[in-house]
Amino acid sequence: MTRHHPDSLMLMEYSAGNLSEPHALCIRLHLDKCGHCRSRVDSLESLGAVMMEQQSQVAVEASTFDSILARIDSEPAPETVTPRVHRSPLSKLLGDDLDGLPWKRQLKDVSVLDITDRFPGQQDRVVLQKLCAGGKAPAHTHRGEETTVVLQGAFSDNKGVFNQWDFVMLGQEDEHKPVALEGEDCITLSVLSAPLKLTGTFGRLLNPFMR
Amino acid sequence: MTTLDQKPSRAEGRKDPWSQLLEKVGKNQDRQAYHALFEHFAPQIKYYAMANGMSSHAEELVQEVFVSIWRRSCLYDWRKAAASTWIFTIARNQRIDMLRKMQRTSAEMQVETEDLWQIPGENEDEPVTSLHRLMSERRVRESLRHLPEEQTTVIAKVYMEHKSHQMVADELQIPLGTVKSRVRLALNKLKVILQDQNV
Repeated sequence: MTRHHPDSLMLMEYSAGNLSEPHALCIRLHLDKCGHCRSRVDSLESLGAVMMEQQSQVAVEASTFDSILARIDSEPAPETVTPRVHRSPLSKLLGDDLDGLPWKRQLKDVSVLDITDRFPGQQDRVVLQKLCAGGKAPAHTHRGEETTVVLQGAFSDNKGVFNQWDFVMLGQEDEHKPVALEGEDCITLSVLSAPLKLTGTFGRLLNPFMR
Repeated sequence: MTTLDQKPSRAEGRKDPWSQLLEKVGKNQDRQAYHALFEHFAPQIKYYAMANGMSSHAEELVQEVFVSIWRRSCLYDWRKAAASTWIFTIARNQRIDMLRKMQRTSAEMQVETEDLWQIPGENEDEPVTSLHRLMSERRVRESLRHLPEEQTTVIAKVYMEHKSHQMVADELQIPLGTVKSRVRLALNKLKVILQDQNV
């Protein structure tokens, strides 16, 4: 049961299809385990449908429907389409063994893996972080907005305990000192919004646990 | 669909006409029903494409959406979403998919569009949430009538023009905080916000 949720504004941007892919991934992973947020997104999608209905309409070309019929006639009948086998986007992206990834150790308790290049054509920085069981990250603040979802284990800071699939948003004003809970390494996925004017700062290695 | 078969009269009463048509497409590949859906939704989808800057691909998006509706109609379950909501999500996903395919090669598409944007659990049986889903569209349509225009304007830009809250603020020349509070007020009235944290 998740207890920390994305806020409604972010879910709205998700339901409108406006988020970058890494941000959408964070939301999607949370939705997978959170019925509460799924029903919020349902309502927001209904809002999208009603907005679409209430806008102007533009006549389509006369031949369009025939082109569509021609396409569906050349394709298999719909009953042959079966629901997809559910496989988490996370395992598609990273495989099923998070611990076995090529982690780079940065500090005694902290390892990171930059996966930004898995999301071509966008500007956010995407980083996996691992804080070993019971491990402590040094106190730090954040530059810009950071969106995090807990993939494994749990950590705590001054705002509470964050368990698997909990959602965390941190801004510039937030200083925290995360500590992983005992028993399991804590792995998180963090998306760092690219500050539009500060592209130069991305030259150096950023560690969202550390900044 | 057993519930539906057992209680046809009660069930039919909750179904809107578009959902009935979509169901006919799914069950019987009914082309007349499909054409009626096309007449109603295609002009909306074309506007949707044009509003978000895809004018030169608007007809293409309409085609992609309708081919996808045909293909997926057998998965449609009126108890889980009204047809208009279901079609909106297909339009949104197809738009994202088209833009992704224009920007990159298929080798770079490790994660499919639906992996990111389709709400999980669509194909599962969730009777409790399904009632909620059905109610939500009626409620949204009803409450939207009572929202002040400044709030609907902001929401329209987010959904139709794919503008972030920041971009809406820049365009309307109002502070980002004002955009956010308008959205929050609207979502509150639409009962989308229950409690944002620690629910």
